[in-house]
Amino acid sequence: MSRYILKRLLQMIPIVIGVSVIVFLLLSLSPGDPAKMILGLNAKEEELALMREQLGLNDPIPLQYFHYMKNVLIGDFGTSYSTKQSVIEMIAVRLPPTLILSFGSLLTILIVAIPLGIALAVKQNSPFDNIMRVVSLFFAAMPGFWIGILMIILFSVKLGWLPANGFDKPSAMIMPIICSSIAGWAVNSRITRASMLDVIRQDYIRTARAKGLKESVVIRKHALKNALLPTITSVGMAVGGCFGGSVIMEMLFGINGMGKMMIDALRQKDIPTIMAGVIITAVIIAVANLLTDLAYSYVDPRIRSMYARRRTIRKEVAGNGSN
Amino acid sequence: MQKTLLDVKDLTIKFRTDDGVVEAVNKVSLSVQEGETLGIVGETGAGKTTTALGIMGLVDSPPGKIEGGSILLDDTDLLKLGEEAVRKLRGKEISMIFQDPMTSLNPVFTVVEQIAEVIVNHQQLGEKEAEQKAIEMLELVRIPAERAYEYPHQFSGGMKQRVVIAIALACNPRLLIADEPTTALDVTIQAQVLELMKDLKTKSKTSMIMITHDLGVVSEICDKVAIMYAGEIVESGSLEDIFENPLHPYTNGLFGSIPDIDKEVEFLSPIEGLVPDPSDLPSGCKFHPRCKYAQHLCRVEDPSFREYSPGHFTKCFVHEGKLSVKEVKKYE
Repeated sequence: MSRYILKRLLQMIPIVIGVSVIVFLLLSLSPGDPAKMILGLNAKEEELALMREQLGLNDPIPLQYFHYMKNVLIGDFGTSYSTKQSVIEMIAVRLPPTLILSFGSLLTILIVAIPLGIALAVKQNSPFDNIMRVVSLFFAAMPGFWIGILMIILFSVKLGWLPANGFDKPSAMIMPIICSSIAGWAVNSRITRASMLDVIRQDYIRTARAKGLKESVVIRKHALKNALLPTITSVGMAVGGCFGGSVIMEMLFGINGMGKMMIDALRQKDIPTIMAGVIITAVIIAVANLLTDLAYSYVDPRIRSMYARRRTIRKEVAGNGSN
Repeated sequence: MQKTLLDVKDLTIKFRTDDGVVEAVNKVSLSVQEGETLGIVGETGAGKTTTALGIMGLVDSPPGKIEGGSILLDDTDLLKLGEEAVRKLRGKEISMIFQDPMTSLNPVFTVVEQIAEVIVNHQQLGEKEAEQKAIEMLELVRIPAERAYEYPHQFSGGMKQRVVIAIALACNPRLLIADEPTTALDVTIQAQVLELMKDLKTKSKTSMIMITHDLGVVSEICDKVAIMYAGEIVESGSLEDIFENPLHPYTNGLFGSIPDIDKEVEFLSPIEGLVPDPSDLPSGCKFHPRCKYAQHLCRVEDPSFREYSPGHFTKCFVHEGKLSVKEVKKYE
């Protein structure tokens, strides 16, 4: 198993290199002069030339990339063109709200969608199931920012319960997290429901009932673990979505996160900030995908045995058993 | 005189579907004495499995519903007990082995977990002791202890079925219902599993209901036989009664469709026609469209289930003496 994890971690290197090359190329080839962005439109030509020389913009693009990545490897993401701050320091401030927003959304998806999906499957075709079918479709189809605007109108403007912007206290986090996850609740509860319905008709569920187990044990223990695979796939893919979606949520709710930082940096052609944001996002999404795959093998021993050699499993499992 | 363990009377199970009401089991009566093995034989769709699930209290509801009758275990009517009380009997007093071992085990738990679970559920044992007992059960069904911590996908079909048997026997049930336990297995493995079941039965003196469509299996293992057709029992009696002196034309038909190694015949003589659609059963005797002795009476009236000789029951007008058929021919 550890070999597999190591292999997957090594595979992240080409991913990060690929992403950074593409973004670096796009930024370098797109029009706009960073020196002008820094010194302003009225700067003299000599000052601009000096600035370009200082920034290394006169070097060939591959050399620029090489210099940049060399610094990244020693943990130096450079200085922002627009704010003149160290990029690392900027990210240290901007990353936590985005992480809280993204993983908070993910967590609420898990907490809401899985129990809801189970309940819908157990109460298949009940009025509750039929109503939720429509409600889910509605929330899956509505754009998050629109729901966000409606929520701001209701909860901030009319009722005054929750602040409309910022991300500094828990009450301010409620609306952004709900808005960015509500479509996920809808979609993932449907997926969990469908796979639960499939699983509870399986023969091994009948075997579990024939053992005289309580129905709640049959559902929670025997059915759920088998039904989780499609949900894990979907939630794993939602990680990227939550990160991307955080850009919109941060703009809407005025959160000083990575998404807002990236938008600002793009407008300024602030290459070091953009690059750092992209690389860090890529690493986080790659790690999340790895965690998803590890979750598969935790849930399904058949997948586990594809990863590891048979003998190591036997040892591992026997070890677990004798504990 | 042996004690009656299970006494099923007039059990009726119906399924309400969009296409109408399916009468899966219709007034089935059967009884099993302590230590005895009853075979239930019939074609696919005859209602054998539904009868078994009815006894287990596992008929899917909705759409299925037990509409009438009684199921006495000792002297307690299972149909009058609450869901919770029946649940406590399942796996402890009555166990069931299912048809397809490939799908009967949960793929995400080790086999020892799946056996230990039923022990923990019914006996006052800790996880550790239950696991120890589960390993003993595995060894009883001849699976080496070192394979206990493997998952079902690492086992062959025959071994999986033995795990299923171990689960069923883990709490020493008084009644074991085996629903075509060998159908999904290939012939050599079938023999092994049957041998194992016979062995375990003699050791533990468990009563058993063996559901099968294989008369060979019946002759190997059963003391009594009930023949089911279209949700009804058409003939029942001791193994000798059924094999030496089959009364009902359907029973005769079943024997006629088995190849005989001593005779050289070009064709088997199968029963003409198909099992009737259970949502649209024929009037009168359910077997009349396929019966070569059928007359007008059979189309309008349903024969009653009568004792022909002690312990040997059948449901046919020929044996009620109401039809002038010279003799129901023995199978050939």
